[in-house]
Amino acid sequence: MSRKFTKTLGAMVAGTMLAFGASTGQAGTTTAALGDVDDPIIIPVHNWSSQIAMSHAVGQLLEKIGYTVEYTTTDSQAVYEALRVGDVTLELEVWEGSFATAFNAALDKGGILDAGTHDAVTREEWWLPDFTIAKCPGLPDWEALNACAEMFARPDSGGKGVYVDGPVEWLHDLDRIEALGMNFIQIHAGGAAALWAELESAAANDEAVVVFNWSPNFTDALYGGAFVEFPAFHDRCKTDASWGINPNMTSDCGSPAGGYLKKAAWDGMPRKWPAAYKALTRINFTTNMVGTMAMFVDVDEMEHADAAARWIEENEEVWSAWLYASQ
Amino acid sequence: MNTTSLQPVIRCQTLYKIFGITSDQLQKDSQGLIDPSYRDRQGVVTAVDNVSLDVSDGELLVVMGLSGSGKSTLVRCLSRLIEPTSGSIEIEGNDLLAMSEKELIELRRNKMGMVFQNFALLPHKTVLENIAFPLQMRGMKRAEFVERAMKMIALVGLDEKENSFPRELSGGQQQRVGIARSLAVEPDIWFLDEPFSALDPLIRKEMQDEFLRLQSMLKKTIVFITHDFDEALKLADRIAIMYHGNIEQIGRPEDIVLNPATEYVAKFTSDVPREKVLTAGSVMDERKEQEALASKSVRIDDLVETIAEYVLGQSIPVPVVDAQDQIVGVLHQARMLEILFHERAGPSGS
Amino acid sequence: MRGPGHPALEATTTPFKEISLSRMKDLLLKGLPPEQRAKGALVLLAIVGVLILAKPFNLIPDFLDELPQHTYQSSINKEIQEIKRTELVPIGAALEWTFYYLRDDLHVSVVTRFFSTSLKALVDVVHNILSGGRKGFGLDAPPWSALLVIALTLGYALKGWRLSLLGGGTVCYFAIFGLWTYAMTTLAYLAVAVPISIIIGLFLGIWCYKKKSVEVSILPILSVAQTMPHFAYLIAVVVFFGIGHQTGVIATIIFAVPPMVRLTLLGLQTISPEIVEAGKMAGCTSRQLLFRVQLPSARNEIMIGINQVIMQCLAMVVIAAFIGADGLGFRLLHKLIALKLGECVEIGFAIVLLALVLDGLSKAWAEKKRDYRANLPFYRRYKYSILLVVLVAIAYILASYFPILNKIPRDLDITYAKSWDGFIDWTVVNWQTRDFRYIMLVHILTPLRDALLFMPFIAIMVLVAGVGLLLGGYYSALLTLGFLLFIALAGWWDRAMITLYMVLFSTFICIVVGIPLGLWSAMREKRARTALFWCDTFQTFPSFIYIIPAIMLFRVNDFTAIMAVVAYAMVPAVRYTVEGLKNIPPELHEAVTMAGCNKRQRLLQLQLPVALPHIMLGVNQTVMFAFSMVIIAAFVGTIDLGQSIFKALSETALGKGVTLGLCVSFMALTVDHLVVRWARERRRLLGLD
Ligand SMILES: Nc1ncnc2c1ncn2[C@@H]1O[C@H](COP(=O)(O)OP(=O)(O)OP(=O)(O)O)[C@@H](O)[C@H]1O
Ligand SMILES: [Mg+2]
Repeated sequence: MSRKFTKTLGAMVAGTMLAFGASTGQAGTTTAALGDVDDPIIIPVHNWSSQIAMSHAVGQLLEKIGYTVEYTTTDSQAVYEALRVGDVTLELEVWEGSFATAFNAALDKGGILDAGTHDAVTREEWWLPDFTIAKCPGLPDWEALNACAEMFARPDSGGKGVYVDGPVEWLHDLDRIEALGMNFIQIHAGGAAALWAELESAAANDEAVVVFNWSPNFTDALYGGAFVEFPAFHDRCKTDASWGINPNMTSDCGSPAGGYLKKAAWDGMPRKWPAAYKALTRINFTTNMVGTMAMFVDVDEMEHADAAARWIEENEEVWSAWLYASQ
Repeated sequence: MNTTSLQPVIRCQTLYKIFGITSDQLQKDSQGLIDPSYRDRQGVVTAVDNVSLDVSDGELLVVMGLSGSGKSTLVRCLSRLIEPTSGSIEIEGNDLLAMSEKELIELRRNKMGMVFQNFALLPHKTVLENIAFPLQMRGMKRAEFVERAMKMIALVGLDEKENSFPRELSGGQQQRVGIARSLAVEPDIWFLDEPFSALDPLIRKEMQDEFLRLQSMLKKTIVFITHDFDEALKLADRIAIMYHGNIEQIGRPEDIVLNPATEYVAKFTSDVPREKVLTAGSVMDERKEQEALASKSVRIDDLVETIAEYVLGQSIPVPVVDAQDQIVGVLHQARMLEILFHERAGPSGS
Repeated sequence: MRGPGHPALEATTTPFKEISLSRMKDLLLKGLPPEQRAKGALVLLAIVGVLILAKPFNLIPDFLDELPQHTYQSSINKEIQEIKRTELVPIGAALEWTFYYLRDDLHVSVVTRFFSTSLKALVDVVHNILSGGRKGFGLDAPPWSALLVIALTLGYALKGWRLSLLGGGTVCYFAIFGLWTYAMTTLAYLAVAVPISIIIGLFLGIWCYKKKSVEVSILPILSVAQTMPHFAYLIAVVVFFGIGHQTGVIATIIFAVPPMVRLTLLGLQTISPEIVEAGKMAGCTSRQLLFRVQLPSARNEIMIGINQVIMQCLAMVVIAAFIGADGLGFRLLHKLIALKLGECVEIGFAIVLLALVLDGLSKAWAEKKRDYRANLPFYRRYKYSILLVVLVAIAYILASYFPILNKIPRDLDITYAKSWDGFIDWTVVNWQTRDFRYIMLVHILTPLRDALLFMPFIAIMVLVAGVGLLLGGYYSALLTLGFLLFIALAGWWDRAMITLYMVLFSTFICIVVGIPLGLWSAMREKRARTALFWCDTFQTFPSFIYIIPAIMLFRVNDFTAIMAVVAYAMVPAVRYTVEGLKNIPPELHEAVTMAGCNKRQRLLQLQLPVALPHIMLGVNQTVMFAFSMVIIAAFVGTIDLGQSIFKALSETALGKGVTLGLCVSFMALTVDHLVVRWARERRRLLGLD
């Protein structure tokens, strides 16, 4: 049997080759400026839509100028270690709130380059969906939220409101509730999916909910909503207890409203793929662009590669500035 | 046939198999000597205990003994399926225990065959493949081994079953496959561990007859284990009786029955029907001068069983002749009666 | 029983020097005789009780109450704070140092990197053959209809029309629901991981069989590997092999090999020694003996091993996506995070179908008979191969005329995801769980957890070691004590207790629901088969999918995590109960029938007692499943070891991750050791072995 099986398999392979011939691959002309076009540039993709689609868009653009590109799926935290050793070549979305720790640690160890900052600003904060805002007058102000705390109570919260934070590992501000004297407790969802499940469940049951969220994100399009307005962030808020409304504690303010969104690269990239690295430093996403991409995928349900192609088609003037800007 | 001056085919001397001790350990503990104290140790079983025996060319040695007396273990030592703890074994003059793995394989491929007590058929192979297996190992061509295996299948009466798997056969059928498998290579030395035990009486008799016919033609050297005294008597040139790993006695069937060497053998053979064991030669009296003799003689190796009726019917002694038709003794009616009825009471009566 | 002359038996018979110690050894290895156990248990409970009661009176010194720990949770409603950061023994740091020393100073990474590069090339080639692209040979993708006819013919040739339809149906499922490229990626990945796992497993199994010393040193490693949470060793895999698709393959192989080794070894060890002797008498060289006698004779166990490999590989499809394995798993994860549950279910079923087909094909292939004598003409002997070639050729030709047969258009947009979404939403709205949750959380779970956290660690150690002493003697006591001491010294005690409480409670629910369900299913043959089918399905259905609906129903809390664990760990409780009852020898049933038993008597007098050891093994498996799922349930949001493992994974904190993994593994092994010990003894007493 096994012999028969291998035979048929062999025949199949041979048949395929005869019928279609081995395609020869693209014969790239190696130019000094491009660098090594045969060795693929490896772009990591993570598990949220805008990042995947954007990575595909950039990948397709690099292919346009003659590079070989491969995508590899990685964990969004582990990717910085991979970048340092050159397992992947670049990273397009370094969010300040979630990845600054890992990114900075990698910068310290060496092997990784900061390839510039996008125009898009990010924000990570307590967030209320529209169907909740409608329930309590004065939202999204934090004092109004506190007044309605009972609305957010759960069976096991002892009458206090419940704020669904992200996983502990995201290292958010753990003292804010106490510092602001809020009638809330904080529980930790295990990951992004758990947060959205909380949202969806609340939406289905028309219950009030306040969760950790960030912008730009697909939830904007899905539910509409707003960040809770806490006392504005200030540098001293984190270090100086006397600052702010609670004279005895730090952390009596919201998170910074405009976090950065950076690009990162393996430090071998400028040597190996000079033109690609130049382009990477010029690549610049705006909040709107990231939102559009997320829309294509999450709302219009396009495949990532298709979404990327559509974006490229519709935004020629944007990307040609990245690729062909005069030095 | 049992006492040729030629070198024996199988010769083993002071053979021990003690489970729970390896021969290396023995070397270390007591310079290779068997220390009687081993027997008392917990977890140690002396399965073969100081056995020495010779089997000559073309001889059929039957090994008997109670369950657990070490018969299978002895045979496994003789085929070196297990390593004896101490002692020596020679096969056709070659030291079996000194053979390398390669020589051993050659020996088994070309010289030895074995039928196992529990059949030991390969579960994943059909009847045909099982029987052909040793042939394949010898590197025989496919067409050849299929033909040969089919012949064996016919010989043991399993036609039409060649594509069945062992699990689809009855116990007796499986045993016949085992026999066919060991016969397929035409071994010179043949070990059979209770080969007919799972057969029904009819087939068993058929197989025994077939076996005798084959043996008279092929003259193999055979060690045959059985629990069935009738079978032993029918087949054996010599019988060895084992007890607790010892060979209590080894000899021709009638010697064992007439002159049991130990109490145990005597008890073991007490129920044996003598007429089936004893030959005219072993019970005849000396011929007295001028004695009138019956007209028809009997042969010296005729079993009592077959001549009793005739002797009992004669009022005068019956002559016993040897192969050259010389009269070597006589049988009296009275002696016959004594053998058939009187001595039946047991060794104490004799 | 075994016949004489079996080499393994000889090797294990008691050596001399130990015989004088045999009485001592009896006590060491067997524990208290069953009739004295009740007394022993009472004494044990009394001691533990005293230890617990002593705590409120401050009679327990601090170092026996609680060792220094990593994190500390002060009370349920207060967030976790990292207060005491130093463990007693820096196990994590030591491990980390060792691993990096291995990788960087001993240059193990050269080997591992080479391995991972070769694997990547292999996966690329297979992937290229299946779905085209530039990697590998650079072939064009075969038309999907060619794969369809291959699946149909293969299924038919190996088994019959049922398998043929299952295979064809699965291919169509991929095509119709727009999963084609992902499924091909996963298939390519499996086509590499499964055979490699089988080969490595066979090799190690044989090696263990031949060398006792290897067996003794490998088996404990396998136990740990099997109980280690996937995410814990993913970190090690990433550190040594990098990230990417091939790393997923490696992680999968590591996970799939242990059962293969165990079953190969078991199969080889249980061959009747006479069969081996028959092989020797046929003049086999040791190679021939192995390949033509021993391995084929151990076929049943080896086939179960292969089945296990396939199941484990498919279970890893989603988990490996965390470290870069592409395909259905990654797709599912992505859809899960975007909360597209219906699509997740769609993908989940694709994975289940793939498992069923691969399992069916491999089983059928192994059972195929060969007819030696039939002297068939060429075209009949190779009829299926010829048929296959012809059909594939036709598929190619047709595909060049009808593009729909070549490539399913992406925007086909056929899906049943929406109805699943609708169903899930409906359930969430209509099943109000608020009151239920309140009772469970406030009155049962939280008190249970607090009680476990309250107990001084010495009390728990005494309890577990005592049970070990009762069931298995000093050996078991020391082993379990060692396991727990590791957790305590590594500084993860409280987290481990939280994990334990979730596992225990989930197991409790699984027993209460699963065993009666199994009993009910086993009453009728047909029901039993249906039950086993669903067990297979649930076992391969990616466990991640359970989590999100559970959150939507019960929101983020421990109860939700427990429900997700229950959904997954219920399977073995049901399966083993059904099997245990089905495997009761028919003569026993006949005897009971002749004694005039009614149904209830039959159940109580015969079925339960005889099947109990097997059912207990099922409970043991449930506990093992619960330990593995409770870590995954950290996705709900728990504060146990699982959460810390995820943190370690995202920080690539190797030492910490492995330490945490070992903590989980040791807890699981403690339970496993005690239960298996008990069940074996019972089986022996009942004469079922
Ligand atoms: N592998 C083994 N390890 C330990 N003891 C063994 C082994 N094989 C056989 N024995 C013991 O050796 C003794 C002789 O066994 P053996 O199989 O040779 O008996 P037997 O005469 O063939 O019995 P039977 O007529 O039942 O086949 C028995 O007491 C048996 O328990
Ligand atoms: Mg025997």
